[in-house]
Amino acid sequence: MAIAIEVETARGAGHIDHGGHGHSEHPPTSTGLDSRKMLMWLFLASDCMFFGTLISTYMIYRNRAIELGTPPYPNEIFDIPYTSVSAFVLLMSSLTMVLALSAIQRGDHRGLRIWIAATALLGAIFVGGQFFEFTEFTHEGLGLSTSVFGASFFVLTGFHGAHVTIGVVWLLSILFISLRGGMPAEKAVDVEIAGLYWHFVDIVWIVIFTLVYLIPYADGPEGVVEEAPHAFLRLVTVGERFLAALPF
Amino acid sequence: MASIAQPQIQAPTLPKPQAEESGLWSWLTTVDHKRIAKMYGISAFLFFLLGGLEALLIRAQLSRPENNVVDAQRYSELFTIHGTTMIFLVVMPLSVAFFNLVVPLQIGARDVAFPRLNAFSYWTFLAGALILYIPVLFSLPGIFAHAAAVAWSNILGSPLLNGVQPWFDANLPFATVVPDQGWYGYAPLTESLFSGREIDFWALSLQVLGVASMAGAFNFIVTIINMRAPGMSMMRMPMFTWSTLIVSILIVLAFPAITIALVLLTFDRLGGTMFYRAFSLTDGTLVTAGGDPMLWQHLFWIFGHPEVYILILPAFGLVNEIIPVFSRKPLFGYAVMVYATAAIAFLGFGVWVHHMFTTGIGPTPVAAFSASTMLIAIPTGVKILNWTATMWGGSLQFTTAMLFAVGLVSQFVIGGLSGVMHAVVPVDTHHNDSYFVVAHFHYVLFGGSIFALIGGLFYYWPKVFGKMLDERLGKIQFWLQFAGFNLTFFPMHFLGLAGMPRRYSTYSFESGWWFWNIIASIGALMIAASVLIFLINVTRTTRFGRQAEANPWDGSTLEWAIPSPPPVYNFRITPLVTHRDQLWHDKYDRVQESAGRPDQVADTIVAIDQLPERSPVGVAVAEAEAEEGHIHLPNPSYYPLLLSIGLFLLAFGILVNNPHIQLGFFGIPIISAFGFLLLVTALYGWSFEPAG
Ligand code: HEM
Ligand SMILES: [Cu+2]
Repeated sequence: MAIAIEVETARGAGHIDHGGHGHSEHPPTSTGLDSRKMLMWLFLASDCMFFGTLISTYMIYRNRAIELGTPPYPNEIFDIPYTSVSAFVLLMSSLTMVLALSAIQRGDHRGLRIWIAATALLGAIFVGGQFFEFTEFTHEGLGLSTSVFGASFFVLTGFHGAHVTIGVVWLLSILFISLRGGMPAEKAVDVEIAGLYWHFVDIVWIVIFTLVYLIPYADGPEGVVEEAPHAFLRLVTVGERFLAALPF
Repeated sequence: MASIAQPQIQAPTLPKPQAEESGLWSWLTTVDHKRIAKMYGISAFLFFLLGGLEALLIRAQLSRPENNVVDAQRYSELFTIHGTTMIFLVVMPLSVAFFNLVVPLQIGARDVAFPRLNAFSYWTFLAGALILYIPVLFSLPGIFAHAAAVAWSNILGSPLLNGVQPWFDANLPFATVVPDQGWYGYAPLTESLFSGREIDFWALSLQVLGVASMAGAFNFIVTIINMRAPGMSMMRMPMFTWSTLIVSILIVLAFPAITIALVLLTFDRLGGTMFYRAFSLTDGTLVTAGGDPMLWQHLFWIFGHPEVYILILPAFGLVNEIIPVFSRKPLFGYAVMVYATAAIAFLGFGVWVHHMFTTGIGPTPVAAFSASTMLIAIPTGVKILNWTATMWGGSLQFTTAMLFAVGLVSQFVIGGLSGVMHAVVPVDTHHNDSYFVVAHFHYVLFGGSIFALIGGLFYYWPKVFGKMLDERLGKIQFWLQFAGFNLTFFPMHFLGLAGMPRRYSTYSFESGWWFWNIIASIGALMIAASVLIFLINVTRTTRFGRQAEANPWDGSTLEWAIPSPPPVYNFRITPLVTHRDQLWHDKYDRVQESAGRPDQVADTIVAIDQLPERSPVGVAVAEAEAEEGHIHLPNPSYYPLLLSIGLFLLAFGILVNNPHIQLGFFGIPIISAFGFLLLVTALYGWSFEPAG
């Protein structure tokens, strides 16, 4: 299949992606940075815009259910301690991800498998928790078409959940490859790239968790938006809720 | 090859590369950036012809008052498809064709950083285009049948053909689902309350096209940052490469906004949400839904204004290549040009509300965005100045490519000026939704982007195909196109100021608009004739064209150092770059510089690749590299194609099923499910594909 061109060589100006199991010798790139890692960084830059757009939409609509008097309202249905636990689970998965990467960089295959499996498991617990939360909300009457608050909530958090799901599938694929012996230490960068993605998805959740769950909503279903509380007061409230929500 | 050999340095022997593969399969699986460039270019040109046909139908309808070439519904479909085609299926892919062709050559690389991703971009572009064009192609017979029936009954007074169009509409699949809401698809017109399945076709098509654009943009950014030949610092990069880099960054940051906007729209239409719906109809009464159509406008234009720079900056890049070469002078103010391009891109994210001045958004945003819009004229003016100064005092050669480049400079100034006029809000309130705006964006898009892209075709044709396009036909084409363009679009300024609204299918005789309208329609015919001349030129060139040399225009950038057409591997030996206008340096400066201190002479592609024996440094580099192995070219792969087919089926399955399916787990249409499986399979196949 290859176009066989046998010519005296030159130093390639950069590394061309030849396929999964590429040549071991990678010609240096202009910047010295790995091209695939750079690709992931760029993807994450655009993913910031994806999430940014969804988060803005949510911020515009977060009080609409209250304003229009169409229950259920956010302050009624959000269970902050519950979601805090699942946020904590997701954050811990970043730790295990770091351990997985450092294991493979040391050539510790057993360590890689254990920590990758742990990361995938924690991610799966998070997704499962979200699934349960969604069903719970549906039971309480919040659907996609109940109100724009509900719609933007489900689309934003669902989009994030889809990211985590894809991440879990990716991690399991790495685990599978490693079990079949296809993940030598030289390919640690494969794990590193998955890790970049994983940490990003975690960080985004911190933003979403703060903006969706922690920042207080307008009170009262009377259809009036309350005067926005003083910024400092607001910050204190966020902090208080966060502390109250910690599982210990 | 030169025959002078210095005895002490043995030049490496270079075996002949095997001939390039041909045949359909080799095209379907190709990952070669030059072939992908050709596929992009040819597809884009075909869509240019289709978009032009739609424009001619529009002009035929408007050529006289109370005309009936097409009815109002068909008219709406025509301007929607025309706009969407020209923006997403002509200017963008034609620009990408140039990115693909030129960028790896200009930076001295063998291919892009991710060749398979590149092939995936093309196939996905084609998939997105097909989704839009399946309904369009099925509706064309009906459109022509209608025009024929009207002509028949006008001339012979017989209704003989009147039944043909309804028959076509009733019997051709998809003939009635042609998008008709305008290229920016404002809500709530696109909500299911007011529209049918055509919006789903439009939305999913744009969605798939967006995937293609973003995949390409990621690829070009990494390529440009990471694959530059040794010595090519960022500030030695040719301006076209700079434009590509900046446009790609714009794509990466702007497309997410429209992607999410379309996702929300699709949820509104298929999932029962109300993101863009202020009201919904429940049991015959309107109830407040809580959504806001303005959200669509914001999200669309946050993408939309950067998009207009995505459309014009590649054209500017081409002009940056063409004008210096035919002025026989390096570009004036290279660094300032780089900064101006970056500034335009940066400011481009902060002006979107100028498309929404008349929505009643309030005085503060209006004032702020009016100011930021005017600010953009500054870096744009810098560019115009630099081009003029480059030509100033140069020995100008008015080849066809140069004519088109100078054509852009002059026509874009007119479009830019009317743009600044729109930035003045009271004036814009008068212009908005009138033919004045139509004149503005045709001066920037046709007089700007299309002129430069055609100039680019003339400039790079010899490099791609190894044949010179006919200059005499080219010049006739230019002058006809230039005259036709101005005849078509300049009068639209008058029509707009006189109150003629855009997007109306006809106008009354009393309006007094008929004179400039018939002039505009005549101009459109002249443009069509000029395109015909281009087609003749291409056919003749393919048959009898003069063979092109490696560097027919005496260009200064690396792509002109290798044979025309380039070999599969582009550069036999990676060039060493020491100067911005490298080839000019080698050819003109080097002789002077080397006098007295020969071994400090920098060696470059010309020295290494074409005259290896004479070049001590080149030979040393080549020998060092000879130990490393062979030229590795990426393997062909069919996974990109499979992945795109999967994506196509995924989208198409949603369209051919009942559009009002619930988004429940079991409601997933079967074709989509199959497409998804194919997509996942291809993705894994791709990841595990071994290197050859
Ligand atoms: C000096 C630079 C420019 C300025 C100040 C400018 C300003 C504007 C403004 C204020 C509008 C809104 C008019 C209205 O709808 O009432 C507009 C519309 C438009 N501009 Fe520009 N523009 C500039 C350059 C460009 C370029 C480079 C392009 C594309 C290559 C472009 C394409 C368009 C298009 C397509 C529209 C119409 C959108 C629609 O369909 O409503 N403009 N421009
Ligand atoms: Cu704009």
